[in-house]
Amino acid sequence: MNGLGIFKGLLITLKHFFDTYLADFLHRQKNLPLEDKRGMVDSSGLFTVQYPEEVIESPEEFRVVPFLVYEAGENGERNYRCTSCGICSKVCPTQCIYITRKKDPETGKPIPSPEAFYIDTDKCMNCGFCAEFCPFDAIKMNHDFEMSTYVRGETHIFNKEKLGKPVEYYAKIRPVNYALEEAEKAAKAEKTTAA
Amino acid sequence: MAENDLNKPEIDMPAELRQQIAVTTLDRIYNWSRSNSLWPMMFGLACCAIEMICTAASRYDLSRFGMEVMRPSPRQADVMIVSGTVTKKMVPQIVRLYNQMSEPKYVIAMGACASGGGPFKEGYNVVPGVDKFIPVDVYVAGCPPTPQALLHGLITLQKKIEGEHIPNTRWYKKGEVEAIPVPILGPDLFDPRNSELINSETHKPLPVVETIVEGGETA
Repeated sequence: MNGLGIFKGLLITLKHFFDTYLADFLHRQKNLPLEDKRGMVDSSGLFTVQYPEEVIESPEEFRVVPFLVYEAGENGERNYRCTSCGICSKVCPTQCIYITRKKDPETGKPIPSPEAFYIDTDKCMNCGFCAEFCPFDAIKMNHDFEMSTYVRGETHIFNKEKLGKPVEYYAKIRPVNYALEEAEKAAKAEKTTAA
Repeated sequence: MAENDLNKPEIDMPAELRQQIAVTTLDRIYNWSRSNSLWPMMFGLACCAIEMICTAASRYDLSRFGMEVMRPSPRQADVMIVSGTVTKKMVPQIVRLYNQMSEPKYVIAMGACASGGGPFKEGYNVVPGVDKFIPVDVYVAGCPPTPQALLHGLITLQKKIEGEHIPNTRWYKKGEVEAIPVPILGPDLFDPRNSELINSETHKPLPVVETIVEGGETA
């Protein structure tokens, strides 16, 4: 019969409409693991992410531009974990990291801390090699992707202040990695005290 | 359009009139309608294009912003998303397409390659940033930017359009806007005789933008 096809199509649309509510009901609990969240797997109905209002949760290993981990001091100063060994800048495939080591102004001896640390985000390809190779867990990959700008140039070259993020931030965005690293550190410290 | 968007915030209105009367400016209405009907041009250059396709698909759904129609013709497009590595062989075509777009026209440099050459910055065949050739409005960082990052870039562009003032905008002024000279395919690309015009077009003074984008830098 002619015209039946259009009703079939409309029924499919209607089914998706009701499936959306059903899926919302089934995934109503909060604190679900990411892979069981609504719209991630086997979800029926509409699964559009309403981006500016609802941001999709990034998986732990999601990486954008690196950041430098620092421990906040008592007076709010930033004690960067970085020792300016320069492994990250050597291993960087695009050579977008620039570091200089701090020097004692009196004696002229080098201090294991970065004087300047720049990352050119126009070159960075978010590979994560720097974070992978850093022996001090000082550089990690960020999750923040909202970095659109109207101008290029200086705003796209991140300096030490812009790259710095507290340890708490790192623990928040990568809890599993952070726990593993802390456990490893604790085991190492125990070994040295026992020996 | 929400009431708060339509009303000009500087104008003080009695509370009982707020739902009935809106006092606004032509700029505001005009920019609002313009920014919510941006049609991107459909072309992709590299891996960023895959993310752009994903942005247009149902998961992220560009049509929520009135951008669902990816036009395959530059004559019908408002915004050019330069998604990917711009090679020296491709840049003449990109500039030609930009010249063919009808005004008002905007350019988004998507990803590290389009913004500044990316990993191929010192390469023999890649242009170090498309902004050396055409004026770029919004740079989206990432390699490649996720669909959500591209959406953030498009929202940033919308905010820029909403901050525009009709008499100040280049395309509503009298006189013709000169086309950007198309680069000649070759190792140098620039025709030195045109360098003055190219520089005046690509290194324009920064526009005054009212809205401050969270997380992004404003001009």
